[in-house]
Amino acid sequence: MNWLMNNLPYVGQLSALHLLQSIIPVIAGTLISIPIARLAVGRRRDGRSTAGHTAGSAFKRGAVVNTAALLYTIPSLALFVLMPLVLGTSITSPLNVYVALTIYVVAMMVRSAVDAFESVSPVTLESATAMGYKPVRRFWAVELPLAVPVMLAGLRVALVSNISMVSVGAVIGIQSLGTLFTDGLRRNLPAEIIVGIVGTVVLALILDRLLALIGAWLTRWRKA
Amino acid sequence: MKDTDVLDSPNAIEFKSVTKKYGDVVAVDNLNLSIPRGKITVFVGPSGCGKTTSLRMINRMVEHTSGEILVNGEPNTAQEPHKLRRSMGYVLQQAGLMPHRTIVDNIATVPRLNGTSAKSARTEALQLMETVGLDTSLAKRYPAQLSGGQAQRVGVARALASNSSILLMDEPFSAVDPVVRQDLQKELLRLQSELQRTIIFVTHDIDEAVLLGDYVAVFAVGGRLAQFGTPEEILREPADDFVASFVGRDRGMRRLTFAGASDVKIHPLTSQHTPWQQWELKVEDGKPAGWIIDGRTIPGGSLFVEGGTLRDALDSVLSSPSGVGVAVDRNGKVLGLLKSEDVLAATEAERHRRYGVNA
Repeated sequence: MNWLMNNLPYVGQLSALHLLQSIIPVIAGTLISIPIARLAVGRRRDGRSTAGHTAGSAFKRGAVVNTAALLYTIPSLALFVLMPLVLGTSITSPLNVYVALTIYVVAMMVRSAVDAFESVSPVTLESATAMGYKPVRRFWAVELPLAVPVMLAGLRVALVSNISMVSVGAVIGIQSLGTLFTDGLRRNLPAEIIVGIVGTVVLALILDRLLALIGAWLTRWRKA
Repeated sequence: MKDTDVLDSPNAIEFKSVTKKYGDVVAVDNLNLSIPRGKITVFVGPSGCGKTTSLRMINRMVEHTSGEILVNGEPNTAQEPHKLRRSMGYVLQQAGLMPHRTIVDNIATVPRLNGTSAKSARTEALQLMETVGLDTSLAKRYPAQLSGGQAQRVGVARALASNSSILLMDEPFSAVDPVVRQDLQKELLRLQSELQRTIIFVTHDIDEAVLLGDYVAVFAVGGRLAQFGTPEEILREPADDFVASFVGRDRGMRRLTFAGASDVKIHPLTSQHTPWQQWELKVEDGKPAGWIIDGRTIPGGSLFVEGGTLRDALDSVLSSPSGVGVAVDRNGKVLGLLKSEDVLAATEAERHRRYGVNA
């Protein structure tokens, strides 16, 4: 406790960095996943899904979902170390973390988003088409809002796992709450390590709660 | 034909040699059909007869393979599909409401798509809720909070929005329970008597077709139109064996739907103590409440409501535990009793009248 009181501004600064590194990849990864997933889910002109109807569309869906899942099997540390080579950034640049974590979010969110789009009732889409919606407007006004509940479940998992993964960046010297682990270990300060762990957990709990609240508001129509 | 139409053609929709094929499978085979303006036309037939496909070809939810479909005299391919669709109402079996929009916003969908301001679209939607018999206090609710019958009313209100002169209804009442269905059917007939839209209604239920249709198109398996005519014509003179068998064994009963029961004598209630019955009608607050025999009370049969059809009269007699039908007025108060011999005599008289003979 003493250690925390003495280093409050430092912990605060690390928390802010951790927060940024958690949120930005989740937002970026989700924005990338949605179009990929939507293209993987074939739809006929009237809005009904083609999955299960044609071999081609089943293959497309499988290829996208499995490729995404494969990305997740790359070890995170390897990815962090690899990033500077690919991006041409310096080894301690936070950009490495942003890009690497975005890849993980994509790996998780593509699957969720595919499930989310498939969860949208074909009858609703068909009826929207029959009302006179054109496909693009139908996507924004009907399909996407109705995919939110399932997508949100995946998003919460992605966010929480991302918060824990940010710490790994500390190993290659990128500042976050994970820095408290590496620093505490080197200086043999258990209090610093505990602050790091508790801080990460608290951050995860707060963000998850916040996301759940936003989600509840976005899906208030589901409560009967 | 009502005099309400502004266009020259008496037909709202015309199918001209329309065929729909999926690969080699013919779903609709060379359909020629004129749908009169301002009337309810029912497409009826067994599953796989192409009735729904024919309906969906009108607003191009399904594109026809060959032939031509005229909507108000114009080929339906002359405008873009979304514009065509916004010009007609569409009601689906499961209502197909947008679960994430409130009732009032669901009803306002098409006016909003057509660029009406949110405020006036909502005002119109609230009026439509009243038109279809929905309490406007439901306006801010979401579809998940409605019963099946209410959801279906919202579906109808949504289809009526934007003053679409054509309404397409695809088995709209088949997913609700029989009591609610009857309510919705009555409501549709009441609405139609006020609004006089052109309604195309798909069902597999011949009773529903006979009840609702000004005209009935009977489809046979393989997408062939087997017969088109008024319900009475179809029940009286089925065009072929298929129609005869589809119209069914009960068609004699069904035809009694078209005969009034004004000839059937309603016996005053005091006559229930005559020798023909030891049954006694139980009456509470002037309304029938079952039959009493040997000190037991047995629930009564269907009631004959004043002004009903001969079919209602016959059913009230057949379903009554005492064998005597109960006639009530529109408020449900007992008017008197119907005897089976009177009802049968009325069916005889009706038959004589229909064929213009005396024996």
